[in-house]
Amino acid sequence: MTTDDSFNSVCDFIAEYAAHLMGVGVHTSRVVRNSKRIGEAFGVKVQMCAFYNNIMISITDDETHEIYNKVIGISSHSISFEHNSELSALSWEIYDYHLPLNTIKEKYRKIVEAPRIHPLFVLLLVGFANASFCRLFDGDGISMAIVFSATLIGLYLKQQMLAKHINSFIVFIVSAFVASLAASVSLIFKDTTSSTAIATSVLYLVPGVPLINGMIDIVEGHVLIGFSRLTEAALLIMCIAIGLSFTLIMVKNSLI
Amino acid sequence: MMTILNVIFDGLFAAIAGIGFGAISDPPLRAFKMIAILSALGHACRYCLMHFLGFDIATASLFGAIAIGFGSMWFGKKVYCPLTVLYIPALLPMIPGKFAYNMVFSLLMSLQTVKEPGMLNKYMEAFFSNTLVTCTVVFMLAIGATLPILLFPKITFSITRHKNKF
Repeated sequence: MTTDDSFNSVCDFIAEYAAHLMGVGVHTSRVVRNSKRIGEAFGVKVQMCAFYNNIMISITDDETHEIYNKVIGISSHSISFEHNSELSALSWEIYDYHLPLNTIKEKYRKIVEAPRIHPLFVLLLVGFANASFCRLFDGDGISMAIVFSATLIGLYLKQQMLAKHINSFIVFIVSAFVASLAASVSLIFKDTTSSTAIATSVLYLVPGVPLINGMIDIVEGHVLIGFSRLTEAALLIMCIAIGLSFTLIMVKNSLI
Repeated sequence: MMTILNVIFDGLFAAIAGIGFGAISDPPLRAFKMIAILSALGHACRYCLMHFLGFDIATASLFGAIAIGFGSMWFGKKVYCPLTVLYIPALLPMIPGKFAYNMVFSLLMSLQTVKEPGMLNKYMEAFFSNTLVTCTVVFMLAIGATLPILLFPKITFSITRHKNKF
């Protein structure tokens, strides 16, 4: 150890840091690298093995050969790119400036407890995003307006259900169903691109982060967790398809 | 003139889509501008390849994703953001939503027309072609954007390091 902080408290921090990064949707090799970097700054060697729900971490003090082992659970936080960026930068700061553990913990808390973007603002941005998406698939003005409203309804419902800790698969099915049902209002207008409206109304649900992280994990050799993440993404995509199917069964005659 | 306008509008709507899809994942505020530029760049690149050079959607998506991947390496260094923070939202406007929708719709119609061989064949054919396009494009997007991480690991690993600045 190259610090006066106790070995256990440093190891506890590294374990908490790694579990938090995994929970906010960071790909595995970055979590491993960041944790090892922090360990290096304190003169300890970090080895870890990441699974979908747990991390097994083993930290060795280079001088005393003391070993710390822990299996830490990954709590599912909502995805945060802000935490990804700031906590990665924090690991470099620790490495470059050899900060004391108290200062590091203070900075860590500040990043983790910082307020997220306001949900209403997110709602509006996603509404505009999905309406633009509709335009990219050659949707007309009416379809764009309908997709905007359908997205607001679907995403608001998703936010409320997630806040009540309802199972995420159920949340995705219900949100996809409600958003596509709201978008099927476009069928009332004869000359509009209603199939484009229904198709794009559910796309705000696409789980891009687990999909890409899964691919990165696999190509970087973390095959098990990579497949776990891809399985999660595939299940969520199936849930979107199920929700959309309920609407399509109801309105299919108008779409053929 | 109309052609240039089409490319600009394509990029503009992709930028709005990228910002919105990014907002769901709580990016740092400084990243929004870069996400918008990357989304516009990637989508406009795909649009040009498909409409002017006759590329198919999968190959065009691969090049669009490569442009986004390398762009995020360059922009990431400027705003100290990991590549994935910039390129995941920027890739989302390129998701082949219409094909995915047709995939679900034709699967559903296949199940509904099991007793009508003519219709069943038509919908099964549509299901397979749409599934093929959707899966290939998504795979190409992921591979294309991840390429810089595989090619330049040292640069991408230290992208959030501030020390060089001082």
